[in-house]
Amino acid sequence: MTQATNGTPMIRLEKVSKTFYRDKEALEVLKSIDLEIQEGAYEALMGPSGSGKSTLLNLIAGLDRPTSGKLTVAGADIGAMAEDQRARFRAANIGFVFQTYNLMPVLTARENVELPLLLAKLPADERRKRAEIALKVVGLEHRMDHLPRQLSGGQEQRVAIARAIVTDPKIIVADEPTGDLDRESANEILNLLERLNREFKKTIVMVTHDPAAAERAGTVRRLDKGNLV
Amino acid sequence: MNLASIAVRNVGRNRVRALLTVLGVAIAIVAFVLLRTVVWSWTVAIEQSASDRIGIRHKVTMIMPLPLRYAEEIRQIPGMTAVAYANWFGAKDPRDENDFFATMAVEPDDILAVYDEVQVPPEQVEAWKQNRRGALVGDVLAKKKGWKVGDKVRLRGTIYPGDWEFEISGIYTASRATVDRSGFWFHWKYLNEALPPRQRDQIGWIVARVADPSRSAQLCRTIDEKFAERDIQTLSMSERALQASFMGMFSAVLDAIDLVSIVILAIMGLILGNTIAMGVRERTHEYGVLRAIGFMPKHILLSVLGEATAVGVVGGVLGLLLSYPLVERGLGRFLEENMGGMFPYFRIQPAVAGAALALTVLLALGAAAIPAYRAAKLNVVDSLRRVG
Ligand SMILES: Nc1ncnc2c1ncn2[C@@H]1O[C@H](COP(=O)(O)OP(=O)(O)OP(=O)(O)O)[C@@H](O)[C@H]1O
Ligand SMILES: [Mg+2]
Repeated sequence: MTQATNGTPMIRLEKVSKTFYRDKEALEVLKSIDLEIQEGAYEALMGPSGSGKSTLLNLIAGLDRPTSGKLTVAGADIGAMAEDQRARFRAANIGFVFQTYNLMPVLTARENVELPLLLAKLPADERRKRAEIALKVVGLEHRMDHLPRQLSGGQEQRVAIARAIVTDPKIIVADEPTGDLDRESANEILNLLERLNREFKKTIVMVTHDPAAAERAGTVRRLDKGNLV
Repeated sequence: MNLASIAVRNVGRNRVRALLTVLGVAIAIVAFVLLRTVVWSWTVAIEQSASDRIGIRHKVTMIMPLPLRYAEEIRQIPGMTAVAYANWFGAKDPRDENDFFATMAVEPDDILAVYDEVQVPPEQVEAWKQNRRGALVGDVLAKKKGWKVGDKVRLRGTIYPGDWEFEISGIYTASRATVDRSGFWFHWKYLNEALPPRQRDQIGWIVARVADPSRSAQLCRTIDEKFAERDIQTLSMSERALQASFMGMFSAVLDAIDLVSIVILAIMGLILGNTIAMGVRERTHEYGVLRAIGFMPKHILLSVLGEATAVGVVGGVLGLLLSYPLVERGLGRFLEENMGGMFPYFRIQPAVAGAALALTVLLALGAAAIPAYRAAKLNVVDSLRRVG
């Protein structure tokens, strides 16, 4: 239960709702959520399947806009931002870790990590250097030229974490990052996330079904049918 | 690494599909280049034809002869620089009766003055003039038959029966495609003297060169008017008009070939578009990830278009590489040697090759436009949710 908070809200939701429309049928997935996450926090989000965890995480990450309410992340009003602005926001502030790693199969580990830096207009050797540093952080400096299919699931997820931190974002969002991994690999990933929070002061929001994973976070929140409980 | 190199690598994801598509594009390019070259090669005969030459024949039909004195009379008309006449001899090589080549009886000085693009070493011209049985043959024919200067050649007459003895005096080539390089020319006097008296002094047609090409149409009228009241009337036409009227018969065919060549490219575009659309659909999830990371719709759009361009260029270049040996060396050489009259110059024009490549890229971009636009417009959350 250690987290490097310093008292300023990094993420702030005020009466945030999200409704999906499917064939004219409205589905209110998030119901007037109020939530504050401090800078440097490490929070886990739990809840039954379909409760809206991923939807909430996507909103925080700037992937989607709330249907109503106010959502402020890293000082930016997500709800008011257009598509391209949100893309720039994500590139600058958010590191993504997905359950299924989502590495580009045609790129090597190093290239996958370099990918977000293509948006930063850095010289090639600088990109390369930063990617190598990020891969060292996750302990994969010996696998840099391997393709994703030549790596184990745990290694792939570590590459994905290197990709998430290479741009030095303030926030890391992880949607079930250990969901596809065995216990041992899952622990490595959780150790890594913990280190990113403590050593690198990243604010982390992690969705998980795994109580052992949630235990590592500073705060555990539960979502049920679109309500925080 | 950049988006372009990722696009190129994406092409190789499904090797079999990429290979088949590239081959499809390549085959379409070969077909396009072939058809375009057929059209070009046919029409080049018109463009290359001399505008300062006019042909004069029997008004009724080409196969009816004119009196020899007509040539002398035409020579007297002001504005003529050279006049030649010829008879179709129509002989065959007894060793290979199916092999066609044009045998004609001509006057050496006249014919070489009218067809100044014909090139022969001067000593061979001299030898030809001195030798009554001498023949001047085109280099393409000489090569095919293995004839050398000094060889004795026996031909079998069809219009003028019997075996005819010749000696190869010279071998000509031509600086333009207007002259059939498979021709066999021999002394008109040799033929004339061998004929029974009532068949003598008749000529198949006349070709004249005029001093001022812009007056050739007017001179044609002058000639035809001059013989209008005689027993045998003439029909005169500039070489270019003659070629054009000949081509006119084929213009519908040429238009059809034109159209087919475009249709082939369009089909190629559809094949390419389908390949790209399949790849894009399979990679929906990856595009979602790229978008999540911060890439913009325009990046996705460019990456899909880049992928299509890569396939188009690889297929296009492969197609061109195949076209040269197939169209130029294979078919082209065959056509030039065997149908030189119709395809005097069967070569791939740089403009045709360039157009093939440019159209491929344009079609690739056009075909990829819809999938690229769709990929760019994908909803990020939806495409991430889609497991791909
Ligand atoms: N883009 C969308 N369009 C329509 N319905 C959606 C969309 N995204 C999510 N939903 C619906 O919203 C509800 C919540 O989905 P969400 O993915 O947030 O759940 P979750 O808590 O992450 O579940 P899980 O634990 O299974 O991942 C579900 O009923 C889902 O079908
Ligand atoms: Mg989920």
